[in-house]
Amino acid sequence: MTLPEAIDAQPVRISRRLAQIPLLVALAFVVVGVVVLCAVLAPWIAPYDPSLQRLDVGVSPPSSDFIFGTDSLGRDILSRTINGASTALVGPMVIAAGAFAVATVFGLLAGYLGGWVDTLIMRWVDFMFGLPSTLIVIVVVGVIGGGYWVAVAVLLITFVPSDTRIVRSAVLEVRPRPYIDAARSLGISKRRILFVHILPNILPIIVAYVAIDFAFALVNLAGLSFLGLGIEPGTADWGRMLSENRNLLFGGNPHGTLVPAAAMILTAISMNLIGDWLFEKFIG
Amino acid sequence: MTLASDPVDFLTVQDLALSSGNLVITMPTSFHVARGETLAIVGESGSGKSLMAKAIAGLLPPGVTAKGSVKLEGCELNGLSERDWQRLRGRRVSMLLQDPFTMLNPVMRAGRHLDEVLRDDPTFHDRKARRAEVERRLMEVGINNPAVADHFPFQLSGGMSQRIALASSLARDPEILIADEPSTALDVTTQAEIMQLLKDAKAQRGMSLILITHDLRLAFSICDRVLVLYAGSVVEIGRADHLGSGPFHPYSAGLLLSEPSATKRVKRLVAMPGRVPMAHAVAGQCAFADRCDWADERCRAARPGLEQRAPGRFTRCLRQPEIQGELDALRRAALEAAPPISARLANELPLVKVDAITKVFPGNTATHALKGVSFHIAPGESVGLVGESGSGKSTLGRCLVGLETPTTGKIEINGIDAHDFEALKPEDRAHLRRTVQMVFQDPYSTLNPRHSIGKTLAESLRAGQSSGDMNVKIARLLTEVGLTGDYAKRRPAQLSGGERQRIAIARALAVSPRLLVCDEPVSALDVSVQAQMLNLFKDLKATRGLSFLFITHDLAVVRQIADRIVVLYLGDVVEEGSVDKVLSEPQHPYTKRLVASVPTSRASDHQTESRRIPLM
Repeated sequence: MTLPEAIDAQPVRISRRLAQIPLLVALAFVVVGVVVLCAVLAPWIAPYDPSLQRLDVGVSPPSSDFIFGTDSLGRDILSRTINGASTALVGPMVIAAGAFAVATVFGLLAGYLGGWVDTLIMRWVDFMFGLPSTLIVIVVVGVIGGGYWVAVAVLLITFVPSDTRIVRSAVLEVRPRPYIDAARSLGISKRRILFVHILPNILPIIVAYVAIDFAFALVNLAGLSFLGLGIEPGTADWGRMLSENRNLLFGGNPHGTLVPAAAMILTAISMNLIGDWLFEKFIG
Repeated sequence: MTLASDPVDFLTVQDLALSSGNLVITMPTSFHVARGETLAIVGESGSGKSLMAKAIAGLLPPGVTAKGSVKLEGCELNGLSERDWQRLRGRRVSMLLQDPFTMLNPVMRAGRHLDEVLRDDPTFHDRKARRAEVERRLMEVGINNPAVADHFPFQLSGGMSQRIALASSLARDPEILIADEPSTALDVTTQAEIMQLLKDAKAQRGMSLILITHDLRLAFSICDRVLVLYAGSVVEIGRADHLGSGPFHPYSAGLLLSEPSATKRVKRLVAMPGRVPMAHAVAGQCAFADRCDWADERCRAARPGLEQRAPGRFTRCLRQPEIQGELDALRRAALEAAPPISARLANELPLVKVDAITKVFPGNTATHALKGVSFHIAPGESVGLVGESGSGKSTLGRCLVGLETPTTGKIEINGIDAHDFEALKPEDRAHLRRTVQMVFQDPYSTLNPRHSIGKTLAESLRAGQSSGDMNVKIARLLTEVGLTGDYAKRRPAQLSGGERQRIAIARALAVSPRLLVCDEPVSALDVSVQAQMLNLFKDLKATRGLSFLFITHDLAVVRQIADRIVVLYLGDVVEEGSVDKVLSEPQHPYTKRLVASVPTSRASDHQTESRRIPLM
């Protein structure tokens, strides 16, 4: 055992592991934690019903009643932002995890089996890369018109190709290792080699990329909402709030756009930081 | 601790101690190197030898700190600024590293590496003059074809790359060269060539040389003095010939004895139990006490000092005067040859019959890895398959376990046609899997890092259709390979290289095979661990009646455990026969070269002198 390996092999306690988390990443975890809490506890912690219209109040700047003020329909910005956390979390999570679930199967098959399976899957991936995916999403969601979940499904499909490439290259790295050869020469079935021997070894890479994909999906979904696609009008959604309140930015109540924008940016950056950190921890 | 250090000493190391945070890497160490002298620093992995070399050259990785002093002709080197080092490195102190493939910049042509070093010298301001000098320097390292200077590193063999690296580390005519395992990553024949080059360069220039190595035999063959390092402590220093003929420390003695001999087969190698401890764990006692047969309470009470026991001979063993007789006797006993192997009955049906198999790897330039190889393995027989990298020996081994399919030819295992595993009936394939198993070279990637040892072995037992209590069977397997049952709960990362290789053997044994194909099973292990493994193979052969195919480049390993030897050269069998016959009377020129390249100590130097084979 060489010295660095000896150092690696020393048992690490959880407390020491926590102490190794850099401050910035710890903050990122806090931000994501707050967003998750908002999503789960929205009905109890939001001061008002997010769709309650107070036409008597109308647009108002921050006050003691409304911490971030109200929009043009008199709805509370804070309550809408808190309630928006759920669509901001669930959709991107489904996109990132779902795309990787599909990509893991494709990538494992392409990387391990090679041959025509590899050719078929990877040429499809190349084909998908050739398409202007953002445009396709806008057109498809615009034409079909179906709400939030259609947007999520279409985005999920556009995320699969790049994820497949990542999984495949990770598989190619593990495949020639002697422990895979050993499993093959013991006569272990292909399915077991793929899912019991290879998958656990590439899982850290996948987990790290899921976090990074989440951030992209969040921004993409919000972009669609901003354009009025996907999410239904009136729903408390950060992207929606940006577009609804953008004319209040320089008159009335700038918080109507600034608060959801800040929430979105913080969440996306935090997920990116966590993803980068996981990636470096596992792979770097 | 002070060593009588002569003021004319060229390089003086005084109380050099390395540490990484709280982790002790080496205890305070003192030694000296005279001008023109060759000192070997010998140690197993974990001894701290490589970091000590780096400390002398001022190339310590970040996080490792050096205390103490390193003086070059009175000038302190430890703590010099990077700028001062730049003036010293290459000119006064130069370094040659182990891996020739990572030492050269992949995007720079071979000659550029030298050119880069010569550039600063005013005599070579002119391009043409520099080019001529590059060619002259390449000639010095045995490259007579100037076109090699225009090749990229990936176009060069390991030996050629190492020559280029040697030429560039010598380009500024250093006064001392530190060579860190310069030949370990190379084929045996190339290894001998590189060592010869080093020896010549040293003699011609009157340069000092520090050779870092794990190979005692190599150290004795080219060095004046040898320093033995164990778990961060110097345990013995002495002249190479003295140390070779009668070591003063039980560790040096053990190391010498565990090194398998290429010329003589012994009954059983003397293997030191256990493994090298971490330096900090043994700081307050004799570092070797836990593995030493002679250790008593005095050895564990305090760390013994390095004492002079004979002119120029230092040892850290307290009990050396009383046990020296026993050490010498042990050495004499171990050299007794084992009885010759009884010849196998010729009419026995072979377990494996390989008939004229070829293997072509397609590509832009198709690689013919095997060109019609035929041989057989009888039940219970050990066959050594010897060849250097590129000889096709690994491909052949992989064909036997169905990891590769030969392009043409026939393989018959236990009466079943096994040339294409995929085309077999499932029951035949399962039968073959239970007949032939493989042990791989790299202990660090042979086990799935995400599976516990118990899981790995249980899976293998199930593959062998074994029934009954898994835990009992796992424990029995672990005992058979010399480990205890509680290893089942551990993960590969917690094990040493030797332990991992034992698990890999247990995994193969779980299906009760009749033939074990071992691809360089000990080449990545330390000498003392290597001896343990070779003994384990001998035991398995005796208890299970296993057949073995040992794929190796190491003739000493073959001599110790094989009955018969097959020499493979560029995909062809060039020689075949009993081990004794082939190794003592090699017929084919390649086999002769292979046998000649085994390092021997100075006494028998004349045999190896005539062997500089130009490559291009």
